[in-house]
Amino acid sequence: MDARILLVEDDPSIREVTAIGLANAGFTVDTADDGRAGLDRFGAATYDLVLLDIMLPRVDGLEVAREIRRTSIVPIVMLTARTDTIDVVVGLEAGADDYVKKPFEVPELIARVRAALRRVARSDGDATSSLRLGPLSIDPAGRTVARDGDGEIALTRTEFDLLVDLARHAGQVLSRESLLDRIWGYDYLGDSRLVDVAVGRLRAKVEADPAVPELILTVRGAGYKAVK
Amino acid sequence: MHWPRGVRARLAGALVLLVAVTAVGLGLAATLFVDARLHAQALADARDQAAFDLTVIVPGRQLPAHPTPDDIDRSGLLVTFQQRGVETLVDLTGLGGPAGSGVVQSSDALDGLLERLPADVPARVGRGELAYAWLDIRGTRSLVVGGLAPGGGPAFYFVRDVGAIEVAVDQLRTALAIGALVALVIALLTARVVARGILAPIEEAGETAERIERGDLQARVPVTSHDEFGSWADRFNRMADTLSETIRRLENAQHQNRRFVADVSHELRTPLTALVAEASIVRGDVGKLPPESRRAAQMLVDDVNRLRDLVEELMELSRFDADAEEVALDRVDIGRLVETVRAARSPKATFSPPATPIVIDADPRRLERILGNFLDNAKEHAGDKSVEIEVVERDDDVVVAVSDRGPGVPADRLEMIFDRFTKVDPSRSGGSSGLGLAIAAEHAALMGGYLQAMGRDGGGLRIELVMPKDVAGSLRSGDVTVT
Repeated sequence: MDARILLVEDDPSIREVTAIGLANAGFTVDTADDGRAGLDRFGAATYDLVLLDIMLPRVDGLEVAREIRRTSIVPIVMLTARTDTIDVVVGLEAGADDYVKKPFEVPELIARVRAALRRVARSDGDATSSLRLGPLSIDPAGRTVARDGDGEIALTRTEFDLLVDLARHAGQVLSRESLLDRIWGYDYLGDSRLVDVAVGRLRAKVEADPAVPELILTVRGAGYKAVK
Repeated sequence: MHWPRGVRARLAGALVLLVAVTAVGLGLAATLFVDARLHAQALADARDQAAFDLTVIVPGRQLPAHPTPDDIDRSGLLVTFQQRGVETLVDLTGLGGPAGSGVVQSSDALDGLLERLPADVPARVGRGELAYAWLDIRGTRSLVVGGLAPGGGPAFYFVRDVGAIEVAVDQLRTALAIGALVALVIALLTARVVARGILAPIEEAGETAERIERGDLQARVPVTSHDEFGSWADRFNRMADTLSETIRRLENAQHQNRRFVADVSHELRTPLTALVAEASIVRGDVGKLPPESRRAAQMLVDDVNRLRDLVEELMELSRFDADAEEVALDRVDIGRLVETVRAARSPKATFSPPATPIVIDADPRRLERILGNFLDNAKEHAGDKSVEIEVVERDDDVVVAVSDRGPGVPADRLEMIFDRFTKVDPSRSGGSSGLGLAIAAEHAALMGGYLQAMGRDGGGLRIELVMPKDVAGSLRSGDVTVT
């Protein structure tokens, strides 16, 4: 796997050891030490994945993520120092797909990076016919969603994958664990907040009233399901 | 509260007693004085009248030297006196002579009067003096004044009805008694008013003390007077000031302490992140190192992980201290959750899920954390010895228990194992920080549950998480988000 990764991290030791670890695993790594430099780098080359520290000088990681999301659906994995719900939520809302908690072990980071890259490969090869969920028509091959009478809705890759997965299993309850496994590639105990936050963001974009969801329902004690 | 009633009663009692003693004393003195004065006045009047009658009226009637009863009757003296309200008895016996024996009286009521008079009265009358006596005559209080007519004439005894004195004294007594009763009522009312005045600030002070007891350290006693109570209130308030200032300083110190721990652990995180990442790379290649440094490299990796655990636990506790944690409740099948954690963390531990699933509202991530820390603790202290997990219902609670066959904990130190940095056996430093159970206790408290530890028959330790089945009901609604 010779994917190209952009690593934006201000601490030199963390930056260097992470770059070494990724290079050892066969990735090509470019580094930047602040948010401004990161955005410059991102504009100058094509990357398969961005690893982004949240606390960055000049332009912070959340801003960098938002900026990247304007033009690209490249997978973004956040490196977060704090794992309070608020940090995770804010990171995901800025457009990140996944996060790795500091301190991390390099193999753990590489596993997350590979999972994110696999997801891109899988969803890009997805050529199934289009799906419907209530007023939504979903085209997995073209990666577009449109609401009847309203036109196209812009979703991030994670939100789109989640919507497709739920729509494909409409009427069926999907547990947070199985969604973590299928969407994020966690094959061990992951953080179920990823699912909750992603579902929340998806609802905000596709539901008429996100406070009273009609398409993607919560099943207490079990998980989520899309209406049939 | 009993003492206010006591003070009221005592105050009322004292005032009533004072008023009663004063009223009775004054009443007695007043009646005695008035009684004596009225008697003396009556006597003086009677004596003056008698002297006048004997020296002026009687000689004016020209009685013979030795008058007979008929002479007395004819003179009309008795009728004259009677018209003035005075009954008269004339004793003719002292004059001698056949015609001069016997008595003449103006009323039958005077029968036997001479015999009833004290002996010295007729005697003194016989010697020519005026003499008197107080007598009850047919139930009427009377004053008898006796004296001789001039020139050794017959003895006259004038009898006056002085019942009016008794009536007047009785009326005075009644008036005084009524006055005393009114004074008593006024005393009782005064006692109430005064007691209220004294007790109101005391009751207010009592309420202040209660508020302080309940934790309102700003409560103070109002200082409204410059009397003894005012200075007491002032001293009380100064004590409360000192107390709250001390508590505030202690809280501040504790807050700074915790803040410091939070800051330190946060600052440690960046170098720690580099260390952990570096160690994770070295770990895979330890075998390729020259033998002299192989062991040291392995230890380095292990110690980095220990440091990581410690810092992460400190940060976790700091978040609790900063009240930065919130509960996300979900329906949780306890048996299923326990089985998942057991399989992932402690596959050798035994657990048989309850026959019927126990489902409660709880925060599954916190339950996993608590159980994980229980299992780590058991692993650390009991090593390879058997570990059992149990889930049971107990009244309104669900209990998750982890029991080991390790060395156990002395009964007097059982409570301490949930304190921060507690290591029951300091010689067994082990790998853990001593924060795991303290963290578990914080997680449990956040969900409305608690931890308890107990020894086991046959050695070992049993740690229980006790969770209310109705978690939502035991939490303030503001703390909970339900997904």
